Order: sequence, then C-alpha cells, then structure tokens
Amino acid sequence: MKTSTNRRNESAQKLLLRLELWFAPLLLVVPLIVSLVFLGDWYVKGFIGRSASYDGELFLGLLLLIGNLLFDIPFLRSLRMQKKKQ
Amino acid sequence: MFFSEMTARDTLKRTKQKMTEYQIGILEQLNAIEVDAHWFRRVFHTFAASFLFYYLLPDEKWINLGKIVLPIIIVACMAVVEYQRIRGGLDHHRFFGLRNYEKKRPASYLYFGIGVLVLFLLFPQQIAIPCILCASFTDPIIGESRYYLGKKRAYLIGFVVSLCFFLVSWYRADWWILLLVCLLGATGVLIGEAKKLRFVDDDLMIQMLPAILLLLLWQGCVALGVNILPPKMILPL
Repeated sequence: MKTSTNRRNESAQKLLLRLELWFAPLLLVVPLIVSLVFLGDWYVKGFIGRSASYDGELFLGLLLLIGNLLFDIPFLRSLRMQKKKQ
Repeated sequence: MFFSEMTARDTLKRTKQKMTEYQIGILEQLNAIEVDAHWFRRVFHTFAASFLFYYLLPDEKWINLGKIVLPIIIVACMAVVEYQRIRGGLDHHRFFGLRNYEKKRPASYLYFGIGVLVLFLLFPQQIAIPCILCASFTDPIIGESRYYLGKKRAYLIGFVVSLCFFLVSWYRADWWILLLVCLLGATGVLIGEAKKLRFVDDDLMIQMLPAILLLLLWQGCVALGVNILPPKMILPL
C-alpha cells in the first residue's frame, strides 16, 4: 500500500518536473518581452520624441531586463542539470 | 541446514542493501526536485515584475473596466484553487514548488496576487510600482544573499536594493521627499520581509507595509496642503 502511494507521489513529482519545463519559456520570455516593450516605448516617445516624461520607462525596462536575466541563468542551469540527471 | 541459513542471511542482506540504495535514490531525486523548485520560486518572483505592464494598457473605457475586473477574476480563481487544495480536494503533490508549511495554509502565490491586486486597485502607481518591484526582486535577493552572506548582511543588501527601487520610482520628487520616501519605503520592506507571521506570508507584507506607510505619508502631506506625489512613471500606450 505504502509503496504504491510512494510510486504515485514519485510519478506526480516527475510529471510536475515536466510541467516546470513547460512553464519555463513563459517565465523566461514574458519579462523579456515586457522589458523590451518598455524600452521600445521609451525609444519612440522619449528618445525620438525628446520627452523626459518617458525616462521612467527606460529605468523600468532596464531593471526588468537585468533583474530577470540575473535569475534566469541559474534557473536554466538547474534545468540543464536536471535533464542531465534524467 | 547451515548452507540454507547462510543463503537466507545473504538474501536478507542483499534485500536490505537494495532497499537502502532505493531509498538513497529517492532521496537524491527529491533533493534534485527541491533544488529546482528553489530556482523555480525565484524566477516566479522576478517574473511577477512583468505585471507592471498593467500600467501601459491604454486609457479607454472598456480597457479600464477590464483593468478592474480581470485581476479580480484571476485572484478569485487562485483563491478557489487554494481553498480546494487546503480542503483536500486537490492533492498537495500536484503543486510544484510549494513549501512544507504551505500544506495547511494558503500558498504564497495567492498572497502575492492579493498584494498586487490591492496595489493596482487602491494605490497610485507611484506607490504601487516600487512595492511590486521590491516583492519581485528584493525578496529573492535577500533569500539568496542570506544563504551566502548570513542574515544581517542579507537584510542590509535588501535595504539598499529597496532604497534604489524607491529612488528610481520617485526620482522626479523633491530631494527631501525622495529621502523620506526612500527611507520609509525601504524600512517597510525590510520589516515586511523580516517579520514572519504564521498566517500572513511575507510576499503580502513586503508589498503592503511600505505601501501603507507611503499612503499615510502622502495623505498626511495632502492634509497639510503639500502634494508629494511625483508625475506618473508609466504612461499608457
């Protein structure tokens, strides 16, 4: 009885790991897209349009980009390690 | 007789050995999953900063309605899922990256969602943006640096990082307001992170505490006839 429960939990964990892999592109790509939208908006309206009101979007865009990249790299590394183990 | 006794012992030994190997294998697997869940949680935090896209949405009647209704629906769905999980309707193992103490209380993602919802609907973006940034980045930065540098240094780093977020968000305010807001906000973030409550997660506290402190400061100044809010940081597309 116990072993069957263990097996079920084990297979659930394996399935969740796969789910994590499916989630990964979303977690990695969406913040990058959002940061690029911020930077693009600043470039078009702030830089070309010469308006300082959009400087905040530049800061936010850079912050999102750098902040996410800093955490994405170890996350990708851990996924690669997991794939190797499997 | 002696021979059969030996084989029985050997078999028992082998079985024990196999059982131990199997247990070690499972433990290693679980550890690997735990490590992955660790980075998964961190990336989930930083991912939440992209919710700031909300402020880029155009100012039109139907979109403004959606800006109110959609976040409420999303958080309500999360609350229903959590209610089902705590009641036992959904298996705890089906949720990836949950901590052990979250088994019998709502998971931190729900607290995070509630915090973001309240900030979006009830607070001006000048206050909401740095608070969301702090919840998204300061929390994982403190978590990581606590592991390598210890608690005190981690909180110091967290304080400085939060200070920078408030500085970036309020850079267009007067210098004395900037100083006051940065110190008050970063202190709120630090208290929200450091103070562990049993039923309220730090993901909610880290957002709400600085937001409430800044709201009180802003309203206090308004009562005195001074509006300290700087111009909006994000303008709709």
